[in-house]
Amino acid sequence: MQETLVQVRGLSKQFKRDNGETFFAVKDVTLEIRRGEIFSLLGPNGAGKTTTISMISGLLTPTQGDALIGGNSITKNPLAAKKMLGVVPQDIALYPTLSARQNLEFFGKMHGLGGKTLNQAVDEVLDLIDLGDREKDKVDNFSGGMKRRVNIGIGMLHKPQLIYMDEPTVGIDPQNRRRILDTVLRLRDELKMTVLYTSHLMEEVQEISDRVGIIDHGQMIALGTVGELIQKVGEEDRLILKVGEQPVAEPLLRRIESEVATATRAQYERREIANGDSGALAAAEGILTVYATRGRRALPDIIRLANETGVDILSVEVREPDLEAVFLHLTGRALRD
Amino acid sequence: MQRILDIALNDLRIIFKDRSIWINLVILPIVISVAVGYANGAGFTGGSVSLRVDVFDADAGAMSAQFLDAMRAGNANLVLCPMDQTAADLCQLGEEALTAELAQTRLEDKVSLATLEIPAGFGAALARGEAVSLIYRSNEDATAPSYILQAVQSAATRLSGAQIAVQVGGQVADSLSFLQFSDDADRVAFLEEIRGRAEEGWAADLITVETVQAALDPAATQTNGGGGFAQSIPGIASMYVMFTVLPAASAFILERKNWTLQRLATLPISRAQILGGKLLARFVMGMIQYAVLFGFGALALGVTFGSQPLTMLPVMIAYTACVTALALALTTFITTDMQAQGITLFMSLTLAPLGGAWWPLEIVPEWMRVIGHISPIAWAMDAYREIIFYGGGIGDVIVPIAVLLAATAALFAIGVARFRFSK
Repeated sequence: MQETLVQVRGLSKQFKRDNGETFFAVKDVTLEIRRGEIFSLLGPNGAGKTTTISMISGLLTPTQGDALIGGNSITKNPLAAKKMLGVVPQDIALYPTLSARQNLEFFGKMHGLGGKTLNQAVDEVLDLIDLGDREKDKVDNFSGGMKRRVNIGIGMLHKPQLIYMDEPTVGIDPQNRRRILDTVLRLRDELKMTVLYTSHLMEEVQEISDRVGIIDHGQMIALGTVGELIQKVGEEDRLILKVGEQPVAEPLLRRIESEVATATRAQYERREIANGDSGALAAAEGILTVYATRGRRALPDIIRLANETGVDILSVEVREPDLEAVFLHLTGRALRD
Repeated sequence: MQRILDIALNDLRIIFKDRSIWINLVILPIVISVAVGYANGAGFTGGSVSLRVDVFDADAGAMSAQFLDAMRAGNANLVLCPMDQTAADLCQLGEEALTAELAQTRLEDKVSLATLEIPAGFGAALARGEAVSLIYRSNEDATAPSYILQAVQSAATRLSGAQIAVQVGGQVADSLSFLQFSDDADRVAFLEEIRGRAEEGWAADLITVETVQAALDPAATQTNGGGGFAQSIPGIASMYVMFTVLPAASAFILERKNWTLQRLATLPISRAQILGGKLLARFVMGMIQYAVLFGFGALALGVTFGSQPLTMLPVMIAYTACVTALALALTTFITTDMQAQGITLFMSLTLAPLGGAWWPLEIVPEWMRVIGHISPIAWAMDAYREIIFYGGGIGDVIVPIAVLLAATAALFAIGVARFRFSK
């Protein structure tokens, strides 16, 4: 059993809207993060991931609850708790007119580094984020991906036991995203750091995480390894069939459920596609979703039944069980909605 | 403390990376100081430093008028009120008549520097050779040379001397048997001749004593451009300290937008260290601003800073601290950079003229002077004028400094209580 490094107990944060109403951005979140693991918080935008990280990094004071980092309360003993932490915020938190080295040196000093130790730490990080040759350039002149790498570098400068990374791949190209994900894996595998990672991108969470907490509307709705979470929705594949503008009648759905041996559920949804400029309705498309074990084998029967009822199938996609399906199963909404 | 210094140095480095800072820190304040200095009378001598004296002439005779003329001759900067009142209200009396009560208030408010009472029968008593007393009241520092009192004493000596000459002349003439007057009128004419010659002799200043004091000796007054630059340098410097320090509000908002402020809040440093470092940087900028303009004033314009120039330092510190605390307090009430820039400009351009940065508060009506003291610049300028024009020491500027420090504490308390790292 791995040692617990972070204990979050009943963490809540209440805010006030402009009209005076109060609401919980995070409500009663409880979780544990084990030493040496990558723990991800997965949820759509606005789910409460950043608010949670802000509270357990000492930026926001919780309305209720507390977080212990290495046994130190972030509310009662914040300086001791923060010493164990490296934080990589979602925003690029850098001084744009300073160079990469100057940014790293300044934040290193804030962590108590100095002299040769600071220089060595900065050199190592510049090497790790692959910006050694651009160290004297102003950060303002960097690409988005390079800025992200400096942003991450600052978080790991003092070799913290625990590093928080809040959506570190937002808004960057696939090449830089790959580089960042590899860096996160190196933090765990080579530097033996514990990582708390947040993202709304199911694919990267599924790839790098040891355990995942799914958060929605400020509440933790599921927590476990990727395998454990997928088991919650069973072993069913999702077959997603685009059927154009024509409506699919209820009898077809019932026939699929009764005549296709491995199908357990079929549902139809009509989506309207708006014109990008005017917002006016441009087109509509129907999505027929069928849940079935061994989905590929069920496909010929579904296509046959569609043909028999006069429904034209435009495209077919088979999705194996994933965190997206888990989220859909738990909330009735897609993660990207 | 090391963290505070590191944060302050980092902020200063960021500020000085922007080369346009030199325009705002050096070029514009110098240009404006020189322009305002000339507008305030620099380059012209006389009259700019007004030593106002309230006079109650109960005698209102030829002798008392002669006495007042002798005072004016003793110091060209004397303004005897209400006699020297002008359309421009040089006496700052407006339409009011000078009463004993008003004179006392003016003395306490330092509108006038002294009052002089000439009793009824002054001229007659002198003619009889009797001793007569004038009453002189002043709020000037007893340890410093008084230029007004010197003028009063000089006039008294001059008139006394002339009167003694008349008396002695009369006695000598009466004792000389060969000198006979045809009648009394002839005797009076002879005595008046003596008085006239005696006064001419006094006016010729056969012996003069020159008192040299750094603040107000003639050479220094001349170099201060008749008060123009001595007014504009501290005034414009104080205004530019606002221009330099108040943008701390913008800087906080920018740092919040860039998330560097929030990042600092997640580091193992206290809130006090973060705020301390940020505010220290702005405070240092304010002091640099003062150093630039005071240095330019002293080296290029020949402005002198009184007989105790080191007294300027606690005033500079108290004022800059007050503006720094004001910047912190403002930061907590504004949310956007546009608001910050607008409020910085508004505050600076309102508080500067209101507080006497552009012209001396002496030339504005009394009610404006009272309102003007809502501005920290007014308190700083009170202190600077006391030091520069009147050779004041720390004891003379303790009240303005105390007011500025009290405002600093109040504004700082508001700022610290309301400050949030994230909105």
